[in-house]
Amino acid sequence: MRGLRGSSFATAAAVVLFVAAVALLPFAIDDFQASQYAYVGIYFIAICGLNILTGYTGQISLGHGAFMAVGGYTTAILAAKAGFPYWTTIPLAGVIAGAAGLLLAIPALRLSGLYLALATFGIALAAPALIKKYPDLTGGSTGLSFDLVSAPSWLGLSTNDWYYYLCWAIALALLGAAWLLLRGRTGRSFRAVRDSEVAAVSFGIHLPTYKMLAFSVSAFYAGVAGALFAVVNLSYVSPETFALRLSIYLVVGTVAAGLGTLWGIVFGALLIEWLVVPTFEVATVSRTDIVEWADKILPLTLDPSAIGIADFVFGAVLVGVMLVLPKGAGGLLRRGVTSLADRLYTR
Amino acid sequence: MRRFGLTALVVAALVTVGSALAGSTADPGVSSDTILIGGTSPISGEASSAAAVARGAEAYFKSVNAAGGVNKRKIVYKYLDDGYDPSKTVQVVRELVQQDQVFAIFNTLGTNNNLAVRDFLNQSGVPQVFVASGAQTWGADYKKYPWTIGFIPSYVLEGIVYGRYIVKNYPTLKLGVLYQDDAYGKDMVAGLKKGLGKNGQQMVSLVGYDPTAASVASQVAQIKSSKANAYLIFAFGKFAVQASIEAAKLGWKPKLVIVNVVASSANLMGLGDVAGGKPINKGAISIAALKDPTDPRWAKDPGLAAARKILKKYIPGANPKDGYYYAGMASAISFVNVLKRAGQNPTRASLMKAARSQNQPKHPLLIPGVAVKTSPTDGFPIEQVALQRWVSGKGSVPGHWSLFGPLRTAKS
Repeated sequence: MRGLRGSSFATAAAVVLFVAAVALLPFAIDDFQASQYAYVGIYFIAICGLNILTGYTGQISLGHGAFMAVGGYTTAILAAKAGFPYWTTIPLAGVIAGAAGLLLAIPALRLSGLYLALATFGIALAAPALIKKYPDLTGGSTGLSFDLVSAPSWLGLSTNDWYYYLCWAIALALLGAAWLLLRGRTGRSFRAVRDSEVAAVSFGIHLPTYKMLAFSVSAFYAGVAGALFAVVNLSYVSPETFALRLSIYLVVGTVAAGLGTLWGIVFGALLIEWLVVPTFEVATVSRTDIVEWADKILPLTLDPSAIGIADFVFGAVLVGVMLVLPKGAGGLLRRGVTSLADRLYTR
Repeated sequence: MRRFGLTALVVAALVTVGSALAGSTADPGVSSDTILIGGTSPISGEASSAAAVARGAEAYFKSVNAAGGVNKRKIVYKYLDDGYDPSKTVQVVRELVQQDQVFAIFNTLGTNNNLAVRDFLNQSGVPQVFVASGAQTWGADYKKYPWTIGFIPSYVLEGIVYGRYIVKNYPTLKLGVLYQDDAYGKDMVAGLKKGLGKNGQQMVSLVGYDPTAASVASQVAQIKSSKANAYLIFAFGKFAVQASIEAAKLGWKPKLVIVNVVASSANLMGLGDVAGGKPINKGAISIAALKDPTDPRWAKDPGLAAARKILKKYIPGANPKDGYYYAGMASAISFVNVLKRAGQNPTRASLMKAARSQNQPKHPLLIPGVAVKTSPTDGFPIEQVALQRWVSGKGSVPGHWSLFGPLRTAKS
């Protein structure tokens, strides 16, 4: 009982600290970095959604980049062709992606494990081709631009700071929503489905309902993330923006964050941005630095500017992370916070 | 206390004056001894052969810097890889503008790539100069996008020239066209249709490919099966190479037209001229505005000789027959020219003003008679081209381009 109270106090303190850090970060970084951390907020949303599906409900999806594409193109098409103000398109993007998730969940109900992974992989593969199939609507491989976004003038924020706060405000709201959803009956049902479908059914849980719910909530998150991506990506989307690679990165980010926990999401999100942009720095370390270190430790004579070397080193780092932290950053954090709180209370 | 207050006042005054002076100096990217410009280049990916365009420009800037720079400022040209992927161009260009604070974006390659960042650059008031793409929109939409200007001849003009030449000399040929299905390929096709005019039915097959596809093999087979006896390749990067090789594999020997933006690449035209190979691009037609480095008529040309020297000095190991290097240099030469005219302390606005009033009748790397000329209402720097034919190598004589006919424009 004591331990439980201690950990919920620690939880509250950690949440307050995290929100404060998010709110204050733009004062510590330069304007350009604010745009990079806006992307981190976007990946945060997508990972949060994917975690509901994969981490909590046990359904693998290698196709979440496609749901981001649905969201991104919803925003771009509505803003560019129908004159919608961009902010009105963000919830719509989530709803449409959620509907797409619901539709795709129907065939997915018959599949599980590896087969589900492959089916969703197919969706990720097909998405760019499907986008190019309708160039009048989507702009084909040229992509689609809509009016650039700027901060409301009364806020006096730079565009990049606006991107940052927009993404992170939505990210924190959706994190709260996920927490509320997962702590109650729905969350218990999700976990029951993940742990044993047979046991879940025998407890009276209707599998199709909860699987479809998880799919569409998760796709809703991805759709919102995709909409924000389109906005922050200088109001431009192209089929390659949501290529297969993105889907894979999302899975990597989710696993690195820790399945079945909301604690480590920010680490997964930072990892993805770090993966995508070689010059992105987390605690003043970029991928280029890692290459240089690797070069010093081993006599490899790597050229940090050479193509592909950063990816290669990144792969090695990823293997290392998985070996050291099999439960992701979230698992480590949760263990650390709980045991620290216990110790503080028992002594 | 009072003395402290006085000191603080003096310090504050000095700081204010100092920062006012510093603030009044110049636009981003311009310091007392350097000018930082940025760009993207397909250093990796499907179009990596065209990275030589940026490298050639860089070599020329280095030679200018070695001679003292422009108005005592050295040009620093920072170009980053975008892999020919427009969504990467967005990220890289934003980094160059917002993080590196470049003065201008110069010589960025690719139609889609430049389209993706045009709104951003115009809204930010950053010059997007000498776009390395010939899409019509760079010149035509100068009113809507005052910060953007192209350089190379427009694809529409190029298409028109091919169309007219075919109608006049080969009115019975049946044309099969392979085009990249984006703004670049579509501009080429639009120009060709315009040039063909009433003879539009000569085009019996028009097949597009997606610039992110793996291969164009099936498209080439489709064009061949249309019974076309002329083959127009409006492709880019690895697709242009595939387009040529696949036709040869099928044993198809049509009359060839190869779009200018790949005709200058050593890796495409050298195909089949390598030892033991069959000359598969024999007799191909293309246009040129640049003096092609393979054309023997320029063997003693001073402009090209100087360029070869620069290439040898600053890019050891570069293939001196790769036209992409010279294309980049030609663009850099005009940029330096514009920068000189932008004033002792250039601003982004004065750079654009100079770019919109170019008049360079004799450019060292352009065919004599081809001028670089713009005006506030003419956003197309190069509007004259000539036709050239590929002469395959024989014995010790390597394959080369050979100019023929008069200079051509969209009007004649």
